[in-house]
Amino acid sequence: MSDLDKHIEQLRACRPIPEAQVREVCYKARELLIEEGNVVGVDAPVTICGDIHGQFHDLMELFRVGGDVPDTNYLFMGDFVDRGFYSLESFLLLLCLKVRYPDRITLIRGNHESRQITTVYGFYDECLRKYGSANVWRYCCEVFDYLALGALVSGAATDLEPTDSSFAAEPSQTQNSMSEDQAEWEIEVLNSTGQVMNRYPRVRTQNEFSQLSNPPSSPGQSPSRSGPPGSGASSSAKGSSGNSGGAVLCVHGGLSPLIDSIDKIRLLDRKQEVPHEGAMCDLLWSDPDEIDGWGLSPRGAGFLFGADIVKCFNHKNDLSLICRAHQLVMEGFKEMFDSSIVTVWSAPNYCYRCGNVAAILELGEDGSNAGYSARGNGDANRSQGVLQPKDQERALGPGRRYRVFEAAPQDSRGMPAKKPVADYFL
Amino acid sequence: MATPNGRLSPPTNTAAAGPNARTQTFTTPNNAWRILTRKQPILKADPIEALSARIGIPIPEMIFGDNFVAIEHVPSGWKLSFNAEDALDRVSKTEEGMLQVAVADAWKKDREGMGAGAERVVRPFDWSYSTDYKGTTTSPDGKAAGEEGWQLTDQSRDPIRTDLLSRPDPILFFDSVDLYEDELADNGIGLLSVKVRVMPERLLLLARFFLRLDGVVVRLRDTRVYVEHGGRKVVRQYTAREAGYEALRERLRGMRENVAEVLRDANALAPLLPVLEDRTEVFEVP
Repeated sequence: MSDLDKHIEQLRACRPIPEAQVREVCYKARELLIEEGNVVGVDAPVTICGDIHGQFHDLMELFRVGGDVPDTNYLFMGDFVDRGFYSLESFLLLLCLKVRYPDRITLIRGNHESRQITTVYGFYDECLRKYGSANVWRYCCEVFDYLALGALVSGAATDLEPTDSSFAAEPSQTQNSMSEDQAEWEIEVLNSTGQVMNRYPRVRTQNEFSQLSNPPSSPGQSPSRSGPPGSGASSSAKGSSGNSGGAVLCVHGGLSPLIDSIDKIRLLDRKQEVPHEGAMCDLLWSDPDEIDGWGLSPRGAGFLFGADIVKCFNHKNDLSLICRAHQLVMEGFKEMFDSSIVTVWSAPNYCYRCGNVAAILELGEDGSNAGYSARGNGDANRSQGVLQPKDQERALGPGRRYRVFEAAPQDSRGMPAKKPVADYFL
Repeated sequence: MATPNGRLSPPTNTAAAGPNARTQTFTTPNNAWRILTRKQPILKADPIEALSARIGIPIPEMIFGDNFVAIEHVPSGWKLSFNAEDALDRVSKTEEGMLQVAVADAWKKDREGMGAGAERVVRPFDWSYSTDYKGTTTSPDGKAAGEEGWQLTDQSRDPIRTDLLSRPDPILFFDSVDLYEDELADNGIGLLSVKVRVMPERLLLLARFFLRLDGVVVRLRDTRVYVEHGGRKVVRQYTAREAGYEALRERLRGMRENVAEVLRDANALAPLLPVLEDRTEVFEVP
C-alpha cells in the first residue's frame, strides 16, 4: 500500500495525518492544480456536489450514497471547510483523493477557501487546535490559491435512463400522464437508498415545462421573458446548434457583470487570495435572485443576478445549465429560472441544527444516444404564440438525477447527540 | 435534562418529527404557568416564499419558522410567546437603519461606472435582521393583544431578582430555541435565539438578538422575562447594547483576551457593550 493510500485510509477514519505528510500532499496537489485551467473541462458522467463545510461524517454519507472514488467521477463546487467540526479531515481527504485519482475528482474553489474567511469561521482555529501551530492551515491556504474557479461539463446526456427501482411512496405528481415506454425523463429524485421519490418527463418546450411540471424544489417559476435589450434574443446566427445538449458550467457562487463569456473566466489570474472585488470575487460570491438584470446586494457588496442574465449567458456560451452551490436550501437542491440554473447543497443538517436534507446531482453520459435529435423542434413551432425565439434555441438541459440524503446517523459520529445543556443564564 | 432533585415529572415529549424536531411542555409545580417550546427544521422553499410575501423582506438563511417558546398563565389563558415571523416583521423594511459591510466602500468605488445597472441596490432593507422584538402577547380570548396592558416600570419597583436567579436552585425545565440566523454572507452573524429555565419558584426567559458585523458593529438586544410562580406579575426588561467593532477589538486586545473567541461569545461581550436603551415593563395577568 502506498503512503498516499495509507493517508486516505487514515483520513477516512477521521484521523488527521501528521504535519509533514500534510505538507507533502499539499505540495503534490499544487503541482497538479497548477496545470488545470481556471475552468476545468470535465466529461460526463459526473456527480456534482455543493458545500461540505467540514461535516466529515456527512461527506462519508455522500460517498455511500453517490458511490466511492474512483468508481464515481466527482466534482465538488467548493466550501469544503469552516463551520463544521472536521474541516481538516474533510479537505485533506478530498485533496488526497485528488492526488491519488486526479482524473476522477475535480475540486473548484468556494468563497470559504480563503485566508480571511477561514480565520473567522473555524478552519484556522481547528488547525491550531489539532496541530498546535498554524502551519497546516498555511499549507492548505496555499492549495486554495491554486483551485480552479469553475468547471465545464460536456457530453452529458439529455435524457435520463430511469432508475430501475421502486417509488418510495405513491408519487404526488401527475408525471405518469405519459406512458412509461414513451417517456423521456428529464429529472429524477432519489432518496438515499436509491428509491425514486419523484420523476419528471421532459416537456417539449421550456414554457410548457414551467407550467406542466412543478418540481418540489422550484416553486414559483418566474414567468419566462425575453432577453434584455441587446441580449441577442432575436438573433438566429447560431442556427439550430442550440438544440443539442449544451454544456454545464459549474461555479461556486454565480455570474459576474464583468464576465460575459467563459473565455473571460479563463483569462483571470486566479493564483491569489480571493479578492474583495472583481470578477473572481463575483464568481465565488454572487447569488441568483428574482430580479431583472443585475442588482447590488443591500449589504453593500456582492451581486444578485436575474433570470434574464442567466438565460442570456447560457445562450451566448452554449450552456444548457449553470450549476452552483453557496446557498443553503432545505430540499438539498433548487432549480430556478426555468431550470437554467440550479443550486446544489451537500451539507445535511447544516451546522448540526438546520434539519435540512442534502443533495448531489448526477449527469449521465451521452453515449447510447449519440444520434439523439431533439424532437422539440417541430412541436415547438406549433405553440409559437407564447414562445420567445430564444427559448426555441435554448440548449436542451441535461437529464438530472438528484440523490437526496440526510445527515449521517448520530452513532457514526462517535460523539453524543447535541442536547441543549441547562445553564444558569441570567 | 438537568433535574438535580428529580422530584417532578420530566417534560413531556410530543410530536417528534425528524432528529431535530420536538415539542415540549412543562407546567410549574403550582400549576399556574405553562412553558411550551417547539423545535423544527428550517423552513422549506414554499413556506419561505409565503413568509417573505407576508412580511415583505427576504428571509434569513436559516429560518426556524415553526419554532417558538411560549409562557402561558394557566388559569387565565394569557400568553407571551416568541416566534420568528413576528420578530422579522419588526425588522426595518426600508433603507432606515441599513448597515453596510466593511468592504462596501472599496467595493462600490471599484464598480463605479460599470453600467449594467449594477450600482442599483435591490430591495433595500435591514439585512442584519436587527429586531427589537419583545414577544407576542395574546389575551385570554386568544386575540393578539399588542402592547396593551404592559405598564412601564423600573428595576427598583419591579426587579428581575438576579440574586435569587443566581442561586443554584434546581432547573426543572430548560430549553434553547433558535428562531433565525443569518451568516450575513460571511460578514459575521445575526442570530435570534430564546432560552428559558424554570426553577421551583421562578422562571427566566432570555430572547437575545446578537449581531456581529465584522469590521463594523457588535449589537445585543436582550429581552428578559421574569415570573415568580406564586404571583401575577410578568416582568419584562428590554436592553439594547452596541459598540463599534474596531473600538471593541482594541479594548479586548488591551485586556489580553482571545479576541476572535470573545467576538463569537455574546455572553462575554455583553458587559463590554454600552447600553443604548433599557426599559422595564410589567404585566399583571387577570
